[in-house]
Amino acid sequence: MTGKPLPEESAENSAPTYAEAPIICVRDVSFTYDGEAFALSGASAQIERGEFVCILGGNGSGKSTLAKHLNALLVPDKGQVEVCGMDTSEREHTYAIRQSAGMVFQNPDDQLVASLVEDDVAFGPENLGVPTAELRKRVTQRLEDVGLSGFEKHETHALSGGQKQRVAIAGALAMNPEILILDEASAMLDPRGRKGLMRVVRSLNDQGMTVVMITHFMEEAALADRVIVLDEGQVARVGTPQEVLVDVDALSALNLEVPFAAELSQALRRADVPVAAAVTEEELAKSVFSLLGSHVEKACGDKGENAERRSARDEVASQGSPAEAAAVREDSTSCTKTSAPSTAPAGGDALIQLEGVSFTYDAAEARRQRKAGKKPAPKQAKWGNSPEALWALDNVTLKVRKGEFLGIAGHTGSGKSTLIQHMNGILHPTNGRVVAFGRDVAEKGAANDVRGRVGVVFQYPENQLFAATVAEDVAFGPRNLGLSEEEVSARVERSLRTVGLDPEEVAARSPFELSGGQQRRVAFAGVLAMEPEVLVLDEPAAGLDPKARKSFLDMVSHLHEEGLTVVMVSHNMDDLANLCDRVAVMSEGKLLMEGTPAKVFSRADELTAVGLATTSPEHFANLLREGGLAVPHEGLATEESIVSYLRGLL
Amino acid sequence: MMRGFSFGSYVPGTSPVHKLDARAKLLLGCAFIVITLNAHSFFALIPVALFVMGAYALARIPARKALRSLAPLMFIVVIASIMNLFVVQGGPVYFEWAFIRISEQGVLTCLLIACRLVLMMAGMSLVTLTTMTLDLTEAFERLLSPFARFGVPAHEIGMIMGIALRFMPQFATEFSSIREAQLARGAGLKTSPVRGVQMLSSLMTPLFTSVFRHAETLSAAMDARCYHGKEGRTRLHPLSFAPRDGVACALVAVLLACVIAVNILL
Repeated sequence: MTGKPLPEESAENSAPTYAEAPIICVRDVSFTYDGEAFALSGASAQIERGEFVCILGGNGSGKSTLAKHLNALLVPDKGQVEVCGMDTSEREHTYAIRQSAGMVFQNPDDQLVASLVEDDVAFGPENLGVPTAELRKRVTQRLEDVGLSGFEKHETHALSGGQKQRVAIAGALAMNPEILILDEASAMLDPRGRKGLMRVVRSLNDQGMTVVMITHFMEEAALADRVIVLDEGQVARVGTPQEVLVDVDALSALNLEVPFAAELSQALRRADVPVAAAVTEEELAKSVFSLLGSHVEKACGDKGENAERRSARDEVASQGSPAEAAAVREDSTSCTKTSAPSTAPAGGDALIQLEGVSFTYDAAEARRQRKAGKKPAPKQAKWGNSPEALWALDNVTLKVRKGEFLGIAGHTGSGKSTLIQHMNGILHPTNGRVVAFGRDVAEKGAANDVRGRVGVVFQYPENQLFAATVAEDVAFGPRNLGLSEEEVSARVERSLRTVGLDPEEVAARSPFELSGGQQRRVAFAGVLAMEPEVLVLDEPAAGLDPKARKSFLDMVSHLHEEGLTVVMVSHNMDDLANLCDRVAVMSEGKLLMEGTPAKVFSRADELTAVGLATTSPEHFANLLREGGLAVPHEGLATEESIVSYLRGLL
Repeated sequence: MMRGFSFGSYVPGTSPVHKLDARAKLLLGCAFIVITLNAHSFFALIPVALFVMGAYALARIPARKALRSLAPLMFIVVIASIMNLFVVQGGPVYFEWAFIRISEQGVLTCLLIACRLVLMMAGMSLVTLTTMTLDLTEAFERLLSPFARFGVPAHEIGMIMGIALRFMPQFATEFSSIREAQLARGAGLKTSPVRGVQMLSSLMTPLFTSVFRHAETLSAAMDARCYHGKEGRTRLHPLSFAPRDGVACALVAVLLACVIAVNILL
């Protein structure tokens, strides 16, 4: 097996000598999957060497189809795509193009080929026939580039989503590409994973890598050199983020939303505060300060002091001295205590009550450790929790009160999902107890009763659809409850209407023919048809484009207004702040804090320390405070409160 | 989550057993099974048992992990040995009722089969516990390659095995999350045969849908990384025989000699 490193050599031979020519050139490309509907219809774009370009668009705008054209996974039906001077439709270039344009896909779970990290990173260059010694060098180097040095022998399936995506990037980089294409690579990650991914991508771009990123997170697009917005298979807008992302009306017509900073800067200008149009909060803060030049000078004395105080606070947070940690814990319990009486006048209002609940997936190991007198040592993992961590939940006490909207925040692996599985008796606590509707869930028969009254919608619920028709699938739950056929069909119709689907139109269709967003609604209807008293949602809007996300959350909010008790797990702090009456924050299996959104999100530093963040308006207000402005602490900052404060300063 | 799922999943290490060439391990594993099948008495199983224990000690696999990796397969042992209990007859009869009859021979055969199966599985699971899946599939592919000229798709079989092993833990996790979701929709509250079939399809349909979805993206991801399935691939860990592979062969040969000797002498 001497190998024939053909693809790589040909890539070098045909590498363009004219550096000024665009590295990617898309000319009037049309493409159809089925010969009828065009996913791309006449899209044209150019990408320069070393650029960082974001491609935006709602679901079905053709952005993933375009991405697959950039490394010859798809070949245009009409038009032409040139990558590094090579035409993708010429078959002899296929491997050279794929080697020059590394691609990372959306789902972290199905693009890793090998069981071990190092074998996966080596997979691409192995196919190119790179000699073993060189392979080893590339694996070490590329893992270092993505911040995963020392992970060579880890098993891929045990990594967190963010880590998997970074392994996938390392795998693409190991082929020494000139372009890195990320096809919604961050869509399924939590904020922490997204931040890590973004950091890696940015540093690669700083080193000269051309990056094409497909995304529908506007915060990511704001960091690009240029954005291309697709709509119905055509390029709708091209320009710098400052040009494109500030146009609130145009973007919402394209199923997108603008970043908070752009929205705020527009609101400020409407209120006669002449700030520059900005797309990141940092940029906007800078513009505010230059506008208020004299004010800042006046406040300069405060500023120094403030910054000093802040850095001292950060230091404490990162060191986590025992005294401080104790103080924080005390603080969070007092927070719980103060908020409890205000919203729940009588204890009987709690529908579900978790009392000192601890849970481990490895009960045998826990017993052994207890016998041996060893205290379970919570090991702090740098990125997400280690799957080996013994306790998934550690002494959690939490109430779900009748009629409230409870939000649960926390990064992946913090115990959120384990927590909600306790709420309907799918999991039973190892220690402590769960009381639901006045009964201990551990009692015989209680769990079945609870499952009928607490409806849980898991992450990506459309993955659980199974029946031949939508109506059958939605009827699954009510039939399991043993209801009469008339009652079942009445409920099917009602719940389909509630989720905004027309029963006459969809009931007889196969759920698998529907679009992703509709499938999620069907799955949601399947839970609603059981007419639960408490609705538990795990990341209900994950993976939806901004418009679909908004309408889905509006629906949840509407259900809550009609009297349903709702528990919602989310990574999106703005959603939690807007929707919830109360927020609980999980970290490392523990309940870190609990209280009204105003209380929880005012503790930005503590949230940052556990890999979360505060809301966008509050973050911006904190930026202003850091710069020396005395933004008042009256509840949580909102767009309106910031606008009226800044207008008052002028 | 299925934490118990661990049959043969790789335990990292640097022991001599880990370092053996994967091809040698695969072949010696097969030889070991043949030898164990030829041990006709409890006495003949003694050297086999000593060999297995020695190999585990050398590989420094903790006893707990070793036992846990065997646990899921115990039902095969139980079924096979119980069948022998009823089928094999001879010697004094201990128990008789209607058509069921248990005799001395049956009990002895039952125990012998159980011991033999446990040892066989322990031996094979040591191979997978100490060999990375990709090495194993590569070894499989290389051992099959002489047959490639007769049209055996050696490379494809190896790749399929590797990917199947890679996705096994993933599908276990996915299956349990589908199960939880259907439980949350009240599955399993009332059971009748009709309901049972529906319950099963409520688990299997989503699982197969997800398998196909994964397959589609995985093949795109492999294409994107220039996979062509032809000659000219290199390996990060090329397989190579070393003197220790010879020592391992010699040890297995000694085991074979012991078992034959016991079979003849006793």
